[in-house]
Amino acid sequence: MAGVLVFGDTVGGALAPASLEMAVAGAALAQALNEPLTGALIGDDLAAVAAEFNGGFATLHLIEGKHLRPYTARSAIAAAKAAIDAAAPSVVLFPHTLETREWVPRLAAMLDTGLVMDCTALNAEGSDLVVSKPVYGGGVTAQYVVRGNIRLVTVRTGVFEARAGAATGAVNKIAAVEPAAGRVTLIDEAKAAAASGVRLKDAKVIVSGGRGLGGPANWHYIEETAAAIGGAVGCSRPVADSGWVSSAHQVGLSGTSVKPDLYIAVGISGAVQHLAGISNSSTVVAINLDGDADMFTRANYGVVGDYKDVLPGFIERAKQLRG
Amino acid sequence: MNIIVTVKQVADPNIPPAHIQLDPDGKRIISPFGVPPVINGYDANALEEAIRLKEKHGGKITAVCLGDDSSRESLKYAVAMGADTAILINDPDLVNGDSATVGRALAAAIKKIGGCDLVLCGRQASDTDGGQVLHWIAEALDLPTVVPVTKIEAVEGQQLTVHRLIEDGYQRIKVELPALLGVSSEINEARHPSVRGTMAAGRAMIAGWKAADIGLAAQTPKVELRELQIQVRTTKAELIPGSTGAAQGAALADKLHELGLI
Ligand SMILES: Cc1cc2nc3c(=O)[nH]c(=O)nc-3n(C[C@H](O)[C@H](O)[C@H](O)COP(=O)(O)OP(=O)(O)OC[C@H]3O[C@@H](n4cnc5c(N)ncnc54)[C@H](O)[C@@H]3O)c2cc1C
Ligand SMILES: Cc1cc2nc3c(=O)[nH]c(=O)nc-3n(C[C@H](O)[C@H](O)[C@H](O)COP(=O)(O)OP(=O)(O)OC[C@H]3O[C@@H](n4cnc5c(N)ncnc54)[C@H](O)[C@@H]3O)c2cc1C
Repeated sequence: MAGVLVFGDTVGGALAPASLEMAVAGAALAQALNEPLTGALIGDDLAAVAAEFNGGFATLHLIEGKHLRPYTARSAIAAAKAAIDAAAPSVVLFPHTLETREWVPRLAAMLDTGLVMDCTALNAEGSDLVVSKPVYGGGVTAQYVVRGNIRLVTVRTGVFEARAGAATGAVNKIAAVEPAAGRVTLIDEAKAAAASGVRLKDAKVIVSGGRGLGGPANWHYIEETAAAIGGAVGCSRPVADSGWVSSAHQVGLSGTSVKPDLYIAVGISGAVQHLAGISNSSTVVAINLDGDADMFTRANYGVVGDYKDVLPGFIERAKQLRG
Repeated sequence: MNIIVTVKQVADPNIPPAHIQLDPDGKRIISPFGVPPVINGYDANALEEAIRLKEKHGGKITAVCLGDDSSRESLKYAVAMGADTAILINDPDLVNGDSATVGRALAAAIKKIGGCDLVLCGRQASDTDGGQVLHWIAEALDLPTVVPVTKIEAVEGQQLTVHRLIEDGYQRIKVELPALLGVSSEINEARHPSVRGTMAAGRAMIAGWKAADIGLAAQTPKVELRELQIQVRTTKAELIPGSTGAAQGAALADKLHELGLI
């Protein structure tokens, strides 16, 4: 077992931006361990995606099969095992997504090996793999040593800078074998139409609302503000839990990690679990009635006031400025 | 329907970041004085769902926790909410185990209890944020899993229809029992214990099991915690002045425009 194997990810038939972040993280680790770097992709139609996934891989393993989309854990695990068998790595990296959160731990249990999820730093100390991850919602960082023949790590997205590396050495296509019907069957998928069309994860500007909005009847304040500055709409967990908007908008530890240039938090107190999702935002603005709210310890700019007064003034001026 | 709910006791997740403290060897968060540990939020959701299933379909709910003796408090809370029985695995050799050890110990306890139709876990523990224990339980018991579950839509014989959260909506999934589900907070709002429940919890006998009781062999750790470190945040927001809220809003727009952000 030697080598670092990096899994990429696809979204709607394209390469997910996180894929090249994984490649960058993997390349540094492979160098430190002095082991080769290989890549892998799982999906139903990978030719075009594979050409974009230039991570400096000696070999890129493509595990293709129509049954791999839409996602099911059983098929993903079987496909990943095929790639791991082919690459025989000592370390495997995956982007930390709602999908990998479900199937990678089961894979670890099947392989009886060590896994740490949602890592933000990876280091080699001799042949030891040392990783760090936020715990306690993000208020604390834990450092772990991962053991086992094949050490598995999921890596938080938006932490490593995506960069294309050298072109792939060789491509190894593996036809995925569809696993026998299991005890879990996908019936269908219901997709919420994203309010602004921009995926939260990739949005450059986000306006997020929290419980401080007071109720769903006031949610239009957030939508109007986002519309005025061309931003996507986000929310805190209580807002999604209460059904004011769909969970697809939730930012934070148990929602989406975002990395916009501008993040405006309205009526959000700034719990560690919310802040965990915005740690890679460039400029953060807090609008909050309570000047002692924790949101102000993360924000670059703050307005202490009632959003019902602040946002109309903001929207009007923003519209003028953007003309 | 016989349901097992796994319950972890955690430091209160609402402790403000500035008040988080570590024990001297830097491996554990200590709760500030007067802020007792709580039942993991997602586990309270799992328990609530179990109670609702029992109300409709009958059966029995057993809460299982691995932790030191102080975790009895969270198990009492589980009984007060509506669990019929509670079991604590309080073996000192296991309480600092990795996710694999904890998962296998919980699986061994579930076997000893005599199995069940459904294991309900939280999707994640709010202190260690590992997200793994439930999968180690499922693998050890060979159970199908769905995580994170935001709704149990239907129960038909030995089959459940559940919703699984995806980035832009949800998947509808059929899963055969016995199964394990990792519950997310969208699924319900957990009830607070009633006075009667609290009285019942006061009388509840909570068994304490060791590794030998559940037939668990010694485990070699696959993941070793080296240290915890508190993240200090020092940013102090620059406050935007203004005589009225609307003026502050306009000044904020000016500032962000000046910075080229809008
Ligand atoms: C395991 C776990 C995972 C979690 N994951 C997430 C997650 O992914 N995302 C997330 O957001 N949370 C998450 N949470 C929840 C988190 O701990 C907080 O409970 C949540 O973020 C609080 O949401 P909030 O700030 O909207 O509400 P609150 O904390 O209630 O804050 C409301 C704020 O609005 C302000 N306000 C009130 N009225 C006004 C007004 N008129 N104008 C301006 N401001 C006003 C108040 O001063 C207050 O600061 C998680 C918790 C746990 C335990
Ligand atoms: C001193 C110390 C040392 C530690 N060392 C290590 C270490 O070396 N390696 C390591 O991986 N971890 C270590 N831990 C963390 C600890 O073992 C974790 O609490 C445990 O592995 C839980 O893992 P998790 O975060 O994956 O839980 P998750 O998988 O996030 O929890 C998901 C769900 O599983 C259930 N669950 C989880 N834990 C329990 C439990 N104890 N009882 C009942 N149900 C439960 C709950 O329903 C929960 O909602 C250490 C902790 C301490 C205090």
